[in-house]
Amino acid sequence: MGNYFSSMFDRLWGTNKELRILILGLDGAGKTTILYRLQIGEVVTTKPTIGFNVETLTYKNLKLNVWDLGGQTSIRPYWRCYYADTAAVIFVVDSTDKDRMATAAKELHMMLSEEELQDSALLVFANKQDQPGALSASEVSKELNLVDLKDRSWSIVASSAIKGEGITEGLDWLIDVIKEEQL
Amino acid sequence: MSTKTYKKSENQIAGELSDKMTIYQDCMNTFNELPVNAKRCRILISRLLRLLANGETFPESEATALFFSVSKLFQHQDDSLRQMVYLAIKELSSISDDVLMATSSIMKDIQNGSNLVKPNAIRSLTYVLDESTAFSAERLLKSAVVNKHPAVSSAALCTSYHLLPISETTIKRFSNEAQEAIVDLKQFPHSSMDNSEFYPNSTFISQYHALGLVYQLKKNDKMSLLKLVRQFAEANTLKNQLAKVQLVKLVNDLIHRDPQLFTQFQSLLDNWLTNKYESVQLETAKLITSFSINNSHLVSQELYISAINTLRSLLTVPRVTTRFAALRVLNRISINNPEKIMVCNPELESLINDSNRNISTYAITTLLKTGNAKNISSLVSTITKFIHEVSDDFKIIIIDAVRTLSLNFPQEWKSIVKFLIDVLKNGEGGLKFKNSIIEAIIDIVSFIPQSKELVLDNLCDFIEDCEYNEILVRVLHLLGKEGPFTSKPSLYVRHIYNRVVLENSIIRSAAVISLSKFALTKNDPTLKDSIVSLLRRIANDQDDEVRDRATIALELINASENKHSLVAEQLIQSKYYYDLNSLENKLTNYMSANDDSFKTPFDVSSIRKFTEDEVKAMKLKKKQQQAVGNNVENTKDAVVPGTKQTDNRIDNDTYQGANLQEHQEDLLETKYADELLSIEQFKEFGNLINSSKPIPLTEPEAEFVVHAVKHLFKDHVVFQFNVSNTLTNVVLDKVTVACSSEGDNQLEELFTLPIDRLLPNTEAACYVAYKKDEAFAMEGFINILHFTTRELDPETNEPFENDEGFDDEYEIDPIYLTAGDYVKSSFTGNFENTFAELPSEDVAVYNIKEDLSLQEITDKLILNTSCLPVSNTQFAPNDTNSHTLKLFGKSVFNGSKVALVVKMIKSSKGIALKAQGRGEDATLCADLVNNLM
Ligand SMILES: Nc1nc2c(ncn2[C@@H]2O[C@H](COP(=O)(O)OP(=O)(O)OP(=O)(O)O)[C@@H](O)[C@H]2O)c(=O)[nH]1
Ligand SMILES: [Mg+2]
Repeated sequence: MGNYFSSMFDRLWGTNKELRILILGLDGAGKTTILYRLQIGEVVTTKPTIGFNVETLTYKNLKLNVWDLGGQTSIRPYWRCYYADTAAVIFVVDSTDKDRMATAAKELHMMLSEEELQDSALLVFANKQDQPGALSASEVSKELNLVDLKDRSWSIVASSAIKGEGITEGLDWLIDVIKEEQL
Repeated sequence: MSTKTYKKSENQIAGELSDKMTIYQDCMNTFNELPVNAKRCRILISRLLRLLANGETFPESEATALFFSVSKLFQHQDDSLRQMVYLAIKELSSISDDVLMATSSIMKDIQNGSNLVKPNAIRSLTYVLDESTAFSAERLLKSAVVNKHPAVSSAALCTSYHLLPISETTIKRFSNEAQEAIVDLKQFPHSSMDNSEFYPNSTFISQYHALGLVYQLKKNDKMSLLKLVRQFAEANTLKNQLAKVQLVKLVNDLIHRDPQLFTQFQSLLDNWLTNKYESVQLETAKLITSFSINNSHLVSQELYISAINTLRSLLTVPRVTTRFAALRVLNRISINNPEKIMVCNPELESLINDSNRNISTYAITTLLKTGNAKNISSLVSTITKFIHEVSDDFKIIIIDAVRTLSLNFPQEWKSIVKFLIDVLKNGEGGLKFKNSIIEAIIDIVSFIPQSKELVLDNLCDFIEDCEYNEILVRVLHLLGKEGPFTSKPSLYVRHIYNRVVLENSIIRSAAVISLSKFALTKNDPTLKDSIVSLLRRIANDQDDEVRDRATIALELINASENKHSLVAEQLIQSKYYYDLNSLENKLTNYMSANDDSFKTPFDVSSIRKFTEDEVKAMKLKKKQQQAVGNNVENTKDAVVPGTKQTDNRIDNDTYQGANLQEHQEDLLETKYADELLSIEQFKEFGNLINSSKPIPLTEPEAEFVVHAVKHLFKDHVVFQFNVSNTLTNVVLDKVTVACSSEGDNQLEELFTLPIDRLLPNTEAACYVAYKKDEAFAMEGFINILHFTTRELDPETNEPFENDEGFDDEYEIDPIYLTAGDYVKSSFTGNFENTFAELPSEDVAVYNIKEDLSLQEITDKLILNTSCLPVSNTQFAPNDTNSHTLKLFGKSVFNGSKVALVVKMIKSSKGIALKAQGRGEDATLCADLVNNLM
């Protein structure tokens, strides 16, 4: 009964639609850790993702279809196969990995230039803030040239997937934007 | 029907498959829909799989797009959909390179998936892992192997099996787990409800898979394989039928590595012959009978008879596949021991009427081999009826069997020729079938001379109404070749000329050549003028080729007026056949060398020539070896599940054509001869008269493998030693073989040619040359391989500068120049007459103490004398204690004939041989008779 009502309710409010969200970023940035933090609220031990993980989760009454793609060089070319119908991209950056900020920036801009992603919102996690020497969110933002982005809702949030900090804040922002712009 | 319109898909199978592009589009749309509609996706995947199973493929870009769309279905948690997704991934993996992208998802399912999807996930690992990623699945796979659920465990075992060649190091660590899985009787978890006798709760198939994997892991370790057999043979731990069959195959493998082990397995095998599973009985009977082909002295008479009885009883079981399999085994036995399965004849005869055509055909071909002089004609009449009812493929099998039969029972040629002519004229069938009949007939004419006239007469009739050019041409050739030597050549001339009048230009051309061969016939000198006038008429033919051939033929016939010119004889009725391999080789060289724009004519004199009888002997010998060779091959049955059967000829057992290996041997022989003759020092020895087959002088797994070839010249002998260096980091310098005579110094050593440097993994030849004074010099030599070894610098692939190397030697087997080296096989259509006519005679008696079977002695005699076994005496029956072998050959020098009759009797003391030889050359005959062993 309860289910019946809630689905009626969803339909009335137009919220039964599943939202596709991609989590991208270089290898070891913490994408898989964030995905499972979101789904089961715990830190899981991960292995480098060869391929992808996909989980469906409900967040604030919204059904999210979250795709975490592997970030290794050999897998990045395949990202584009999963761009279609994406409501938002979460781009995860390892804030301690200063050497590869340029690479991350390059991958980010290349991805955003794709036609299929023109309407998706962007949330950047400046991850691993719990580590000493991590760049701050604004430093990461600078490294990634985020200010250059035009015609796109974006935000950068400092996070630590291990400690569970920043993740919900980031997601709350994302959901709000999506609700506003796309539903 | 008429409303049906043309669809864009071209290769549609009667509208059964929907359009490939429609399915592709449907898949792409549906798989990418949100939310996923699991049911629709499942149906679409099954359509896609059906397309792929029917052999359709997609271009790579579409396959890739499909793969990614399918991969997106991982977001849906429905187990049935997931199973379909795995099936699709496995299929698409062969056309798209992107399967890698499924890895993480697969791993996750293996870890956390339900028991329904786990096996599918595990099995798909084979397609995504490679050498570098296999280790990442180690822990998962290992725990799946010991999983209690039989389907999960089986999947893991099979996957490990397939990954073994990809990542041996990883899978090697599963040995204990796999071993454990053999013993573990895993059952499906189930509710109490479905625990009924109709639904067995396990087939225990994982035992089979586990055994297969364990075998692969231990196959190089004889001791642990033996232990494995002991562990499972007695105790009743193996419940699965296939696992039991596997165990039989394991025993098969062991006894082929070490035949002496057979004795200790006898009682076990005897037991298995009455196992409750037909497949176990069958495999065991197959093992015993095929092992016995080369090891008959190790197999007890009783066991062999039990095996045959088992097979016999399997011929009457209801299961078609079992009947077929049993028949197949019997058929193999029939190839060289037909007498052993004669007890099955009643069952075989009733199988002729089996509704399964494979079985009835096999039954007939088997019967044709077990047939004896008494029942051949009745058999032939049975097949006359039968052959009109089966398809061409089966017809060809039967014709081939009849062809073998005719060679085995030459005295029965009349009924066989009648049969063949009948099917040739009246049988329905395509070119291949008719061609196989003609081939059988050509065999009969060339090996059974008495049949010649009857066959030719019938063929003349046949060509009056023959629809195939190819066959007509062959028949015309045969008429031209054999016709001039018959009693009434003019009859054939008439028939051939009719073709010139009535047929197309291809046939006319063939007829011209055929006609011209009659011009020189000695049997009817009056023919010449008629042929000339016929040819003159033909010389006005409208076709160029026909005209040209007629003109050349006339020219040659004119030339024959001149008694001293042999050109006509040589070209019109050639008595020689060139060695085609060497001819081809030399021609290619000639063409490519071409330094003086072909001013120097091509020289054919250096190419080996064979006489007709030699060619026949070679052909017959090949046929004989093939019959045996087939069997040797078949005994090496694979012990591994899933190994591919490579030979897919349906007529394997009767197929007589040249095989690749044989062809390669021929080529090798030619190559050796050409190499030898291109060496300056040997040029003055004159023509190469004969070369032996390569003789191994070391174990095949030795570090330096040596083969010897004996080359004979008129006054010289050359030993060629082919040395191959199997080491990877050592070069051999100055390689020679020192041969020291064992005795009577009939040969005088002239010089040796060393191999200057033998690099790793290469083969080269060194030579030792002798002068021989006696025509048939015989001598044995003890051989020592001498060389200097030097270590190789892996950087430069040259020996290290400062490495002096050190001299080493290595004893290899001795080599013998024997009487047999002066003989080559030759054919005679009537051995008894030939034997009686030969002038000088010699007799020798031998007593052999070694424990050899009559067959082994026979094989040895054939080898040692280089003669052709005739009248089908190359097979020694092993149910009696005596055998007579008839051998025929010719001197390699002048072609003088020798014939041998060797009687052998086996008793408890050994084997007694009495050899009676007759020949044109007394010395050769005596040498041969006195040096048989
Ligand atoms: N200290 C710290 N470590 C983190 C954090 N997030 C992730 N990690 C660690 O970083 C490593 C890589 O994390 P993953 O989630 O597997 O990285 P990924 O982005 O999925 O990597 P790929 O699958 O190879 O693309 C793991 O050892 C995580 O425990 C974080 O916020 N702080
Ligand atoms: Mg990951």
